Amino acid sequence: MAASLLVALIFMSLLLGAGPVSITDSMLALVRQGSDEARFIIMELRVPRTLIAMTTGVALGLAGALLQSMTRNPLAEPGLLGVSAGSGFAVAVAILLGATNATLTTLVAQIGALVGCAVVIAATRVHGLGNDPVRLVLAGATLSGLLLALTSMMMLVDQRAADEIRFWIIGSVAGKTLGDLTSTLPSIILAIGIVAVVARPLAAMALGEKSAVGLGHHPGRVRFLVVLAVALLVGAATALAGPLIFVGLVVPFIARALAGPDIRRTLWYCLAVGPCVMLAADILSRLLVVPAELPLGVLTALIGAPVLLLIVRAGRMPSL
Amino acid sequence: MRLPAILPPSMLAGLLLTMISGLSLADERTVDTAFGKVTIEGQPQRIVTLYEGALDTALAVGAHAVGAVITRGGTDVADYIKPRAGDIAIVGTPGETNLEAVIAARPDLILAAPRTSREQFELLSHIAPVVASDIPLFQPDTWKRETRLYAEALGRAGEAEDIIRRVETRAAEVAAVVEQAVQDNERDAILARWMPQGPMIMSTGIFSASLLKAAGFDIRGQSLVDEGRPHSQTLSLENLSAMNQNWIFLATLNEDGRKALDAAKASPAFARLEAVETDQVIPVDGQLWTSASGPLAALAILDEIEDAVRSRP
Repeated sequence: MAASLLVALIFMSLLLGAGPVSITDSMLALVRQGSDEARFIIMELRVPRTLIAMTTGVALGLAGALLQSMTRNPLAEPGLLGVSAGSGFAVAVAILLGATNATLTTLVAQIGALVGCAVVIAATRVHGLGNDPVRLVLAGATLSGLLLALTSMMMLVDQRAADEIRFWIIGSVAGKTLGDLTSTLPSIILAIGIVAVVARPLAAMALGEKSAVGLGHHPGRVRFLVVLAVALLVGAATALAGPLIFVGLVVPFIARALAGPDIRRTLWYCLAVGPCVMLAADILSRLLVVPAELPLGVLTALIGAPVLLLIVRAGRMPSL
Repeated sequence: MRLPAILPPSMLAGLLLTMISGLSLADERTVDTAFGKVTIEGQPQRIVTLYEGALDTALAVGAHAVGAVITRGGTDVADYIKPRAGDIAIVGTPGETNLEAVIAARPDLILAAPRTSREQFELLSHIAPVVASDIPLFQPDTWKRETRLYAEALGRAGEAEDIIRRVETRAAEVAAVVEQAVQDNERDAILARWMPQGPMIMSTGIFSASLLKAAGFDIRGQSLVDEGRPHSQTLSLENLSAMNQNWIFLATLNEDGRKALDAAKASPAFARLEAVETDQVIPVDGQLWTSASGPLAALAILDEIEDAVRSRP
C-alpha cells in the first residue's frame, strides 16, 4: 500500500507545480514531448526536487527511527532534539566564511549534526532525564533555540550571507540540482550500510541491554554506530533541504504504526514512508500560494506538530 | 524716541535691512501632513530625517540634516548619499526610531516617514514639529510630491522645483541615449531582487522603476505584485519565465551585486533567460534602487542607467 502511494505521489510531484504548465503538458514533457518550457520545468526543476525530497525523506525517517530506538523515546527526532539545528548552524558558519562548494557543505553539515548528536546523548545521560521523553525534547528545544539565536546574530554581521542563511533555516528543496544530490549520495549510502549492520543488534537492545549483551552484541559500539549514521543522514538531509523539523518524528511514527514494534521492520517501512511524507509536503508547498511557493519547513511543521501532540497526549506516554 | 546720534546713517540702513530679512525668515507656513496641518517658521536649521526620501530631499535642497536613519539592511545611511550627509547622527532604523537619539540631536524640524503611527507622531511632536507624508506610495509621481512636501516644510520650495527640473532634464538626456542605443522593441525590462529560492519582482510603481520608465524602458511584471506592495512574493523557479525580458535590473541589498548575479546564474532556470545570454542582466545596488528615493537618488540611478546602456556589448 505504501509503495503504491509512493508511486502516485512521485507522479503528482512531477505533474503538479506553481509554474504555468498544465498536467497534460507535464505528461507530454515526461515522454520528451511538448513545449520547451514544459520540458525544462519538468526535467530541470521537478525531477531534481522530487529525487531530493525522496532522499531527505529517507534520511530523516531513518535517522528518527534510529534515534528513537536507541534512546527508547518516541519523541527523539533530529529536528526536535537540535541535531538538525546543530547541522544548520554549522552550515550557516560555513556560508558566513564564504563556503559555496556543495561537498564541503555536506561535510560541514554532518560534523554539525555529529556535535548535535553528542549533546543529545549527553543529555540522555543526565540523571532522570533519559526516562522522561518530554523533558528530553525540552532540552533539545533549548539547544535549538540557542543555536538559532547564534545564527541570527551571524546574519546581522553579513548581509550577503544573511539571505542565504535565511534560506537554509526555512528549508526547501526548490532550486537544487542533481549535482547537490550526487554530492550527498556517498555518505547516505554509507549510512544505510551502517543501518543494515546495526539493525539486528538494535532490535536485540530493545529487549534490554543485558539480553543484547547475552546475544553477543556490544551496546557501546552499537550506540556509536547509530550516532554516526544519524549524523551522516541528518547532515546530508540538512545540506540538501535545510534543518527540517518533525519529518524524523512523523515518518517513524507512521512506519511503527504500520510495522509494529520490531525496529528492523520499522526501518524498512521508513524507506517508503519517508519519501511519501516529504513529497506530500513539497507538493503542497508548491500549490498553496501559486505563483509563489511556501517554504517546505513551514509545511513539515504544520504536518508534524499535530503528530507530536498526538503522541504526547496518547494516554500513557509510550516508552520504546 | 530719538536715535542715538552716534549711529551713522549707513549702519542704520543695514540694521533696517536685517530687520526686514529677519521678518521674511520668520514667515509662517502651514504644511499639509498625514496628521493635519503643521505650522513651521522660517528655514529650520537642525533637521532630523526618519525617512530616506526625506534625507535625500533635505540635502538636495541645501538644508542641514543633523540626524537620519540607517538604510534597510545597512549600518549607516546609504552609500550614495554618505559623502553629502557627512558626519550625521544615526537616530534609528527605517522601522524603529531611537527617541533619545532624536532628542540628543536637538532638531527644530523632524521629517518623518509615510506610515508613521499616530503614537509615534505624538511622541515626536513633543520634540519638534513633525512632517509625515500622506502621499500615496508606489505611484510614478510619489517622489516628486514627497520632495515638494518636505521642501515646503524646509522653507525651500523654490529649490525643490529647481532640482526636480534638473532630474527631468537628466531623464530626458538619458532617454535620448536609450533611444539611440536600444531598439524600440527591445526596451522591455524587469526590476527584480534575486533570492536563493527565486526572484522577487519589484512593483512598477517603485521609485527606480518610475525612473527606468522615464528613461524609456518598458517595465513589466506589475501583474505579479499585489496592490500597494513594493514587490511580489518570492516566485517559484517554475515561474521564472515571467522575468524573461530583454533587460533585467537585478537588485541586491549587499554591496557586491556581481556575486549575487553569479549565484543567480548558477541556477539553471535563471541561466536560460534571454537577458543572461545577451549579457543584459544589470546588477544594481539595492540600497539605491529599492530603498532610497528623492532627487539625489534619482540622479544617481539615471547615471547608472546611462552607464548600463552605454557599456552594453
